[in-house]
Amino acid sequence: MQKTFAKWEALAIVVIAAVGLVVIPCLNAFLPHSSPFYISDFAINLWGRYCCYATLAMSVDLLWGYTGLLSLGQCLYFSLGGYMMGMYLMRMIGSLGQYHKSIPDFLVFLGWTKLPAFWVPFASFPFALAMVILLPATLGLVFGFLAFRSRIRGVYFSILTQALTYAACLLFFRNNILMGGNNGFTDFKFMLGFDTRSYSTQRGLYIASVLFLLIVYLGFKWLTATKLGKVQRAIRDSENRVLFSGYAAANFKLFIFVLACVTAALAGALYVPQVGIINPAEMSTEKSLEAVVWVAVGGRGTLVGPVVGAIFVNALKSWATRAFPDSWLFILGGMFLLVVLFLPRGLVGLVEHAVRLLKRAPEQPPAPSDPAPSAASPPPPAAVTRLPAE
Amino acid sequence: MAQGDDQLKLVTQLADTNSDLVRRVLIAWPRDEVFLIDQPDGSKVAVLMEDAQDADGKSNAIRIDTGDYLKDATGNPQKFFPDDLTSVDTDMRLKTVIKNTLELMTLADPDPENRRSAVMKLGMLQKLAYVPVLQARIQKETDARVKSALAQAIDIIQLKSPDSTTQIAAIRDLGALDSIAGLDDIKAVIDDPHSTPDAVTVARKSLGQINTYLSWVDFYGTLFRGLSLGSILLVVALGLAITFGLMGVINMAHGELIAVGAYTCYVVENVFGSGLSLSPFGLSFHIPGLNLSGWQFQTYFLFAIPAAFMAAALAGIVLERFVIRFLYRRPLESLLATWGVSLILQQSFRIFFGANNVSVNSPSWLSGNFTVSDVILGYNRIFVIGFAIVIVFLTWLLLSRTPLGLLIRAVMQNRNMAACMGVRTERVNMLTFAFGSGLAGLAGAFLSQIGNVGPNLGQNYIVDAFMTVVVGGVGNLFGTVYSALGIGAFDEILQQVFGSPVVGKITVLVCIILFLQWRPSGLFATRGRGLDT
Repeated sequence: MQKTFAKWEALAIVVIAAVGLVVIPCLNAFLPHSSPFYISDFAINLWGRYCCYATLAMSVDLLWGYTGLLSLGQCLYFSLGGYMMGMYLMRMIGSLGQYHKSIPDFLVFLGWTKLPAFWVPFASFPFALAMVILLPATLGLVFGFLAFRSRIRGVYFSILTQALTYAACLLFFRNNILMGGNNGFTDFKFMLGFDTRSYSTQRGLYIASVLFLLIVYLGFKWLTATKLGKVQRAIRDSENRVLFSGYAAANFKLFIFVLACVTAALAGALYVPQVGIINPAEMSTEKSLEAVVWVAVGGRGTLVGPVVGAIFVNALKSWATRAFPDSWLFILGGMFLLVVLFLPRGLVGLVEHAVRLLKRAPEQPPAPSDPAPSAASPPPPAAVTRLPAE
Repeated sequence: MAQGDDQLKLVTQLADTNSDLVRRVLIAWPRDEVFLIDQPDGSKVAVLMEDAQDADGKSNAIRIDTGDYLKDATGNPQKFFPDDLTSVDTDMRLKTVIKNTLELMTLADPDPENRRSAVMKLGMLQKLAYVPVLQARIQKETDARVKSALAQAIDIIQLKSPDSTTQIAAIRDLGALDSIAGLDDIKAVIDDPHSTPDAVTVARKSLGQINTYLSWVDFYGTLFRGLSLGSILLVVALGLAITFGLMGVINMAHGELIAVGAYTCYVVENVFGSGLSLSPFGLSFHIPGLNLSGWQFQTYFLFAIPAAFMAAALAGIVLERFVIRFLYRRPLESLLATWGVSLILQQSFRIFFGANNVSVNSPSWLSGNFTVSDVILGYNRIFVIGFAIVIVFLTWLLLSRTPLGLLIRAVMQNRNMAACMGVRTERVNMLTFAFGSGLAGLAGAFLSQIGNVGPNLGQNYIVDAFMTVVVGGVGNLFGTVYSALGIGAFDEILQQVFGSPVVGKITVLVCIILFLQWRPSGLFATRGRGLDT
């Protein structure tokens, strides 16, 4: 991989960016509702959410597909980002809440008359944004440092991340940490002076989500092509060899982990104003596992995979939960089984496989004169699983 | 019927009659269920209505004075609508007196537990008038615990005694009796400005005595609950210690295998009872019941235990054959695939048994409790502890003393080498996984006796179970035993300290994460020469 981008890939990105950032919002904003090309406000909101999910999935993939760290707690960071943004949004409600007090409704309900100290600075958007990044980063740094220092890896790492998420979820269900308890935060009104319930704000949030997804995609693309990216994959394939080669694997892992946490948190911060609610259910271990499903279905170890997977699974979910409300879990569980057992490289792997078959078929007859048949067909994909060191 | 104070006195005197009719009248009276009926001759008769109603909603009336049915001129029992009749008035004072009289009557109840609670209630009233009654009763009483309750009640009442020597003697007595019931009343004596200085001094001393005793009771109670919580964790985690610890398979569906066991218990219970109707996917079918009752029904749990083991083991075999055997070399992916299985199973439970929790009635020999010096020991918790011991012992026996155990250990140590020696590793894998799953089923049978059974039953335990195995040291069964008991006790103590189960749980999880910093491979690490083990 000498170049970061193949020509067709660069073209595809530009086209997708143009469509996602310019064409779709324009179709939504300027066409009359009767036009066949009109894109509904609902669809804009839905795709904005899908983009946040896709970003979350990419953060999972950066850890799992590229570094071999299966984190079952990525939703913890996603929700923490969401909660920090939620705190800002709660402050922005001002005295428009049910109780018409200057403090958030749930605090009134809990018997508070004055804003608790840690809520005070969240009236400032820059502060909230800083917290969206800093809090998950700090948690990721501390947890990652502890985990990687004592060389907790493989499934142990997964189980620990799950336990941490579980503990955090239990914590956020409590009322006395003053984070909304069971109901979380909802009923948002304003964000940066814009009404979050208006369609134009939702459109703006959609554009921000697409933009962020693109930035993350390009950033990860670049990162995984650098030397650091190579070390990352080396750690995935054989951590011990990396260690023996003199690399401090733990530091690399820590950096990647914190980066993934921050990415997930920012995606969460963009997600919350679009759905209008954040509660501890978002933090449950099932949600994190669901994000892992997206990556597995899309194809891990690629950057397109998580995006495709997140959008595919969520679109399927929106459809199936309405069409077959009782069977959605069967579909999700079955899909998971199928992908793990038969499609270890996900949908992207399936497409690549099909493309290779198609390419090979017509190429066969003139092949003898082709000087580099092996270069034309890419080498077999790098072993996705860690090879048994025998 | 007499009026006013006479009435009160009469009611109190009724306590000595100890007749069933009197009790029924006294229960019915404050509820306005005693009626006056005008007789043809102009007199009024007080009656009580029978519970049984005929087709018109009328019932027979029982004469309070004779206990017979109220009859008309021809001698047939008369029937009345309760709504048509005028009930006999009561006031608050009368109601209180009636209630206390009933308690006094309960003193002669054949059930010692009823006697005891009546004694305690009378003691709380602190009416000196009751002292002679209780003292008379203490002579006749044979049950030791009721006797102690009587002594305490008398002392508690005498705290109100105007005679300060009696009062001080009572306070001293309560201290010597370690009376928890008397705690608040002794505090009241200390706070009372009319108490003599002597009484206050003695009261302080008694209070100290009782508090010391109380902290011991709390301590042993916590220890016991911790032990039983640890035993539950142990049974839940033991299956996981085999599938995860020995085989290295991350079975996220372990929780659902537990639920399989619990639901099996539910089905067996219903088969012994009145049968069970299920309607999955719009189909409906009925499992006929045996309609047993009494002790025969109570034995259902003895059948449910092996059934739960078999059902879960069978589910485990299916899971192993169709999913897990392809993933032995890919532990992370076995985690994901089994999570998919767990979703499917959860939804199946919802479809078969409904989304709501179902409750499994404990057999009578598992409900109830007994008290050893004020520490309450529930039968089910004792059963849990005993059962855990038996299961651990049997597992140990199987693994270390049987040919199958030898094969299991060989395959787990080195699958390829075992295969070279002619061990049919596929079969051993399957049996080991089935055994681990069966243990999960047993855990489910267990949990069904402690709480409700629902589709998410397993989810509540899965994280704890994994933690227990990791802390104990993967691949070491006895590590799991120690860590389960340790985590159970620690959890229970923290719950006491923080006064909230959730905060206790969070603290435990954080402590476990920190503990793994110190010992990354758990309490008892299995040492291997390989780098990746």
